[in-house]
Order: sequence, then C-alpha cells, then structure tokens
Amino acid sequence: MKPTIELLRDVLDHDIVDASGVRCGIVDDIEFDHAPGKAPTIAAVVVGPGAWGPRLPALLAVVARWLFGRSVVRVPWDDVAELGQSLKLKRRAGEIGLGRIERRAARWLQRIPGS
Amino acid sequence: MAKFAEVFLGILTAMGGFVEIGELTFALNAGTTFGYALLWVVLLGTGGIMVYCEMAGRIAAVKRQAVFSLIRERDGFSAGLLTLVCANLVNLLTCAAEVGGVALIWQLLSGWPYRGLLVAALVFLVVVVWSTPFKWIERIFGLGGLLMVVFAVAALRFDPDWGRVAAGFVPSLPQLGERDTLLFAFYGVALMSSIMLPYETYFYASGGIEDHWKPADVALNRIVVVVGFGLGGALAVALVAVGAEFFKAHGLEPALPGTAALAAADVLGNVGLYVALLGMFFAFAGAAIETALSGAYNLAQFAGWPWGLDKRPRDAPRFAISWVAVFVLATIVVMTGIDPVSVVEVSIVFSVVVLPLSFFPVLAVARDKGIMGKHANGPVANALGWFYLVAITAAALAAIPLFVLTHGGKG
Repeated sequence: MKPTIELLRDVLDHDIVDASGVRCGIVDDIEFDHAPGKAPTIAAVVVGPGAWGPRLPALLAVVARWLFGRSVVRVPWDDVAELGQSLKLKRRAGEIGLGRIERRAARWLQRIPGS
Repeated sequence: MAKFAEVFLGILTAMGGFVEIGELTFALNAGTTFGYALLWVVLLGTGGIMVYCEMAGRIAAVKRQAVFSLIRERDGFSAGLLTLVCANLVNLLTCAAEVGGVALIWQLLSGWPYRGLLVAALVFLVVVVWSTPFKWIERIFGLGGLLMVVFAVAALRFDPDWGRVAAGFVPSLPQLGERDTLLFAFYGVALMSSIMLPYETYFYASGGIEDHWKPADVALNRIVVVVGFGLGGALAVALVAVGAEFFKAHGLEPALPGTAALAAADVLGNVGLYVALLGMFFAFAGAAIETALSGAYNLAQFAGWPWGLDKRPRDAPRFAISWVAVFVLATIVVMTGIDPVSVVEVSIVFSVVVLPLSFFPVLAVARDKGIMGKHANGPVANALGWFYLVAITAAALAAIPLFVLTHGGKG
C-alpha cells in the first residue's frame, strides 16, 4: 500500500466492490465535508449519472441529464473497508442502494433458459 | 506438461484468432495492388499488436484490470467516454462485417438467400456464446481459424521470388505517381490498422482475466503474444504473397470471400477450396464473437458492471444484454444490404483513430512501478511502447485525410 492516497488517481474512477465481491459501480465523484475553520474531510463517494454527468463538457452534460437523469447513490466514506485497485465496501451493494438496475435486469433475464 | 499444453494451445488460438475479414481483405488487396512493397507494414503492425497486447495482458495478469478500466482511470471521464463511444462503434462495424462474412460463406456453400442466412448467423452466434464456456469458445474458433494456414501452403506452392519477398520487409516508398503514392500510403495505414484492430487488445486482456491469469502467468502471456501473434503475422505475410502471386498475376480483384478461396482452389483443388472456406468461417465467426464480447467488456468495465462469461447471465445481466445487443445491431447493419467489405473499410479507418487513446493508458500503467511493481515495463518495453504510440498517432492523423483523398482506396 502506498503511504499517501492521491484522491484523483487512487479513488476517483476506480471500481467499487461490495462485501460479497460483486462489482457495483465506479467512483464517479467524491464529496467533502467542510465546516468553517476546520480542515475538509471526505464525506462520501458518489455513484450515478448525477455524479458523472456534470463532469462532461457543458453541452454533453445536458444531453446526459436528459438521457440518464440525475440520480445518485452516496456511499458514506465510513462504509469503505479497503482502498486498493478497487474500493472495497463493508456492506453489500443492496444495503447501500447500489446495483439496483443490475438486479432489475437480472430478474428480467432469469426467465430465459440457461441464464 | 499441463503447462506446456496450455502454452501450446494459447499459441495456436492466438494464431488462429489473428486473421479476420478486414485483414484478409487488406492483406490480399495490398499484395494485389503493390506486390510485396507493403510487407514491412505487416511486420510493423504485428510488432505493435505484440507490444500492446503483451502490456495489456501483463496488467490483466498482475492487477486483474482490463483495458477500459485503465482508460477511464487514466484518460479521465470525458476522454474515456469518447474512446468508449468510438471503440464500440468500431466494434459494431467490425462485428457487422464479420457476421456478413459468415453469411456470405454459408451462401456460397448452400445457395440460400443472404438475408435469411444473416438471421441464421445471428442465432448461431448468440446460441454459441450463451451456451459455451469462454475457454471452449477461444479454442474452437482459434483452432478452426488455423485452417487459414491453407493460404500459407498456397503461397509456398506459388513459389514466390524470395529476393523480392525479403526486399519487401525493408521499409521503403516505391517510385509512384502522386495518386499512387497516396493510395500506397492509404493501403499502408489500412493494413497496419487491420492488423492492430483495437478490439484485439481489449479482448486479449479481458480474456486473460476470464482465464484467471495470475502474476505467475506473465511469462505465458509473453510467449503466447510473441509466438502466437508472430505466426499470425506470418499468415498475413502469406496473404500478401497470395495477392501478389495469384491475384496480381491473373489481374483479378480479390472480392471476398469467394474469390479469396479461389487462390487455395487453384493450387490445392476442391480440398483447398473447402478448407479455405471453412477456415474463413471460423476466422470470421471467431472475430464476430470477439468484437461483440469486446463491446460488452468495454461498456461493463467503463461503467463498473459485473462482467465475464464465467458468470451466469443473471449474475452479469447488463453485460449479457450488451453482447446480445451488439450481435443484433451488427446484423441489422448488414441487413440493409451494404457490402460487408465496404463496412470493413470504414471500420478500419476509424479504428486506427481509436488506438492512441486506447494505448496511452495501457502504456501509462504498464510502465508505472508504483502499480506494477517488479512486473513494470523494462527499458525495451518502454522504448517500443513509446515508438508505437508515436507511430500509431501519426497513422491516426493521416487515416481520415487519406481515406477521403483516395476515395476509400479506390484511387
């Protein structure tokens, strides 16, 4: 493990893996807590179109908002168990609200034989 | 012993999977139009695909990270998204051409209507990928693609002038008029691009993760890349030779795939014809599968979805839906009646534009000792990596102007 964490290089845009080892998103944005007179601390990592959309050039951001909406899921920093190549969570995706579309798609696919 | 078998199989599948419809088209056409003068481009392109697949495979073995995760981390979100969109457009077009190629071969063998066979090809490909484990897909289509060796046998039977063949490996620009020089440059860029198609790197690295490579497999990766792709490159050389010795000599244009098989039929009779058609079938179907899967890998890796054929579709649902969608869209593209070969020509020109953005993050991570530790690039891999990044960027900048100036290679 490297002695220091570079947020932009080691956290942003890295995979998120839940407690049972399932990939459940990518760190689309990082949120800070800052109170006057105190040093800022990391509050949460944010996942979803509402988090990556604004990172696009202005015109595309509008298109992305129109296509994908602006929903986000906040993963509290306290739920992060381990930082490495990917971010490991202490809990399962479902408990935090991640991977909802994936599960809906899975229910739909289950009707097909061999799935 | 088991290890040896694995290396051997890996080499054969890499070799068998090397050639697809674009490479077949451009290698034959390059030989037909310019004889052996473009052989050095085959050498250059084969070197490039080796260098970058080796790096991407090494990253997959050491960090279990696939190319589009790297692209998103290192190119940033916006440039990464641009790469994803372009790469998957190219995947879709390449897949469309391969599906069309499969249907054309079936049509030659059966005489049934083309559009019906396109639907049959779609069903066939989806059922194969849905029901076959990754390892077997790799082996069946890789080993089946080895039948393309019939073109190497044909090339030898044509008894080429070895002095001219050897001279072709020396980088040079023949003395031509202005129009032919542009055409030569276009063929050079297209041939290099067809050998270094971006999906090959994406698929190779994702396949390494599907095959559960570990850091100990770094050596296996290197041998497979160098020997397997080296032999695949030799097959591409043979195709150029077939173009030069058979099609150029007879004044034929190798419109695919029927005419291409004629070269094998000419020296080896009916057996040659059927082996060539069967080899092309496996090569095109294999490439169709690789491009469709590559499209799904790219999307899933960029968006952070679960992916992999080792998971049941219900455990990686969006990944499964994605590769089925690539097959369906690809079939719709060729259903319009557009000639698969012209789809190939467009996709190859645009694929070279995708390469620099895809290769840069691979190089950036492979050379980073903080990430790769003792498996980071040595000076040779670094020098080759930078050399090819510059070369491919130059090719990418030249590709579209050359495509326009030569009217898509028509002169």
